[in-house]
Amino acid sequence: MNFSSMRRLALKAAAACAVASLFALPATASDAVLRVSAIPDEAPTELQRKFAPLGKYLEAQTGMKVVFTPVSDYAAVVESLATRKIDLAWLGGFTFVQAKIRTNGTAIPIAQREEDAKFTSKFITADPAIKSLADLKGKTFAFGAPSSTSGSLMPRFFLQQAGLNPEKDFKNVAFSGAHDATVAFVAAGKAEAGVLNASVWDKLVEAKKVDTDKVRVFATTPPYFDYNWTVRGDLDPALVKKLTDAFLKLDPANPEHKEILALQRAAKFIPTKKENYDGIEKAAHAAGLLK
Amino acid sequence: MLLTADPAARPRLLGALTVLVVLWPLFQAAEVKPGALLDAGNVKVIGNFLAAFLPPETGAEFLGHLGKATLETLAIASAGMLLAFLLAVPLGYLATAAGRERPTLNPVTRSLLTLLRGIPELVWALVFVRVFGLGPAAGVLALGLTYGGMLAKVYAEILESVDPAPANALRHSGAKRPLALLYGLIPLAAKELASYTVYRWECAIRASVVMGFVGAGGLGQLMDQAMKMLNGGEAASILLAFMALVFAADGLSQWLRRALDTPPADRPSPFGPRSALLALTLLAGTVASFRFLNIGFGELFTADAARSMGEFVAGFFPPDLSAEWLAKVGKGIWETLAISVVGTLLAAVAGLLLALPKPHAPFGFVLNALRSVPELVWATITALAVGLGPFAGALALALHTAGVLGRLYAEAFDNAPQAATRALHLAGAPAGVRFLYGTLPGATPQLIAYTLYRWEMNIRMAAILGFVGAGGLGQLLYFELSLFHYAQASTVIIAMLLLSIGVDQTSAWLRQRLR
Repeated sequence: MNFSSMRRLALKAAAACAVASLFALPATASDAVLRVSAIPDEAPTELQRKFAPLGKYLEAQTGMKVVFTPVSDYAAVVESLATRKIDLAWLGGFTFVQAKIRTNGTAIPIAQREEDAKFTSKFITADPAIKSLADLKGKTFAFGAPSSTSGSLMPRFFLQQAGLNPEKDFKNVAFSGAHDATVAFVAAGKAEAGVLNASVWDKLVEAKKVDTDKVRVFATTPPYFDYNWTVRGDLDPALVKKLTDAFLKLDPANPEHKEILALQRAAKFIPTKKENYDGIEKAAHAAGLLK
Repeated sequence: MLLTADPAARPRLLGALTVLVVLWPLFQAAEVKPGALLDAGNVKVIGNFLAAFLPPETGAEFLGHLGKATLETLAIASAGMLLAFLLAVPLGYLATAAGRERPTLNPVTRSLLTLLRGIPELVWALVFVRVFGLGPAAGVLALGLTYGGMLAKVYAEILESVDPAPANALRHSGAKRPLALLYGLIPLAAKELASYTVYRWECAIRASVVMGFVGAGGLGQLMDQAMKMLNGGEAASILLAFMALVFAADGLSQWLRRALDTPPADRPSPFGPRSALLALTLLAGTVASFRFLNIGFGELFTADAARSMGEFVAGFFPPDLSAEWLAKVGKGIWETLAISVVGTLLAAVAGLLLALPKPHAPFGFVLNALRSVPELVWATITALAVGLGPFAGALALALHTAGVLGRLYAEAFDNAPQAATRALHLAGAPAGVRFLYGTLPGATPQLIAYTLYRWEMNIRMAAILGFVGAGGLGQLLYFELSLFHYAQASTVIIAMLLLSIGVDQTSAWLRQRLR
């Protein structure tokens, strides 16, 4: 065997190995696994911590392995639900509407927290000169993620009703990406004012993660429907029933359940339906976020 | 009297004035307000943030995340490079005029390459994250496409630039084109081809960090979270890990390039134990990368994936061309252009100042530090310093680019012809005059070429900086993609493409004119 044919052989072998390595990978098993995700309205590490006990509970209730995938993009959760890459997702009101549209109306909301039926957003600032929404003219302002319900859509809708157009009336509009990041933006002076969901604000205040002498709430929105747990429409109905029952069965009197509920910041879970989110869909059209 | 003594004073002054008049609106659009840098409130904010950098976070759990993310970044870059290479070899072969009987420019392949290169990798990543779900697969594919385009273009040019005689001789004696290239051109170009590929791998590591910002995994994703939460300690640790990775890659690629320069050993077989070891390491590294990332490539090529990809792409057509939206995109283009021009100019000035002082050493360190922090990370810091908006973006570009240009400028000055300077020195001219009329004219073409090249890169970066709040096209794209307004997003992507092609053309024209 001469060198050139040896070289050819070596090249062929290397090419074969490279190609084989692409395909010989373990395919992800899709049976008996419940794939769960959540919109990243808080830091992904925080979401994972919050989900851990709930995940264990769902494993016990369904007999399936529960895998939680943390993500950093709201729209990716919606798209993953639509392309059947996840089975169950924690969505905001607006992301649910987006998911409903992208799945041609098949996505099913199964449960929401009692609190989500009358949810609000808080406008915050560290600037003593800002006392009402009208004072926001000419200021820099931070929303959460563009497709957040309580950090973008509903505040935008209520700002509009107060006669303010963020793109025209604010000096600069930023999207912090998450509610706790909005607080960091405002506390650091990166934005002069911002808006976030009431539940995260209360949590940060309780945990003393925000200096309330400096950052204060100067306006609150009227209540609206927000977050829910949604499953993709083509999931086995028996499993959907099991999951729905699992959420509704969570009982604050049971200490184990109490821990799960506390982490989800829920008094208890209640049933929900698609129609609850029609108001949000209308607001999204009005605010120009849905076309 | 410098002015009267300088015979070229008048045209120089006129030139400078014209440039100022042309650039003034761009400075306006970039909202340049140096005062914001000195604002007491801003200084305090950024001081607090930077103070939180010390001590870097060293918790065991965090370090575990950090180690995994570092490996992930390395694996994304390596796997992406393999994909890029597999793409670049056939495309480069099709695009190059080398070994053809009649030189053609092959417009179809060339425009495909422009398309692949013109759309920033971050945009590809953002798109792939949607189709293939979150995680490294999106990053690998995005890198593969953009870098495939770049590699193919450069491969084609390298093949065109080497001596065509051996290939022609082979063709005349009846060899087919592939064989003529393989045995006539590749041996001559091999070193340059390999060297460029290694250099690109190094760039891929930097780029894969940036793609983490849109959810493609790796160090960038950690950095994005730390920066959003303004967690200085974590940011510092991530930055240190990132710098270590970049320096290691830099060192490795320098070693590899030097190894390519050493003449082969004098023995009958072209393969030695060293090249065998290298081939083995490469193979093992690639396989390990794919294993580590655990990408179900089988899953990517199912009918289901093809359908959802098709639906996704179809959503982008037709682009929204309504007058109202075009006006908005036009404003975004103007802002992006302003960010890139102002950022590059500020960088040129700062780079020049840092390149001039004579012992280079202490300034070299500053330049390296400026250069190793990616623009997106600088942008989160400058946004604290001057508030959100285009000026923060321009400053971020300026800081990173100053590091790059400073180093290139220093080399250009060292390589500039010395005769004129020496003559002025002997005639008793002071140092300032020696530099202005001796060294500077000799180095100027190089300086301008480097600056224009960086501008071409910066326009692509400026389009992306909007993701962290610096305005321009990036912010529009992020917003519209979040809301699934694909028709609008598609207009923005087309605008980015046109802008980067336009800037490439302008820069090529300017280079020609100023030569």
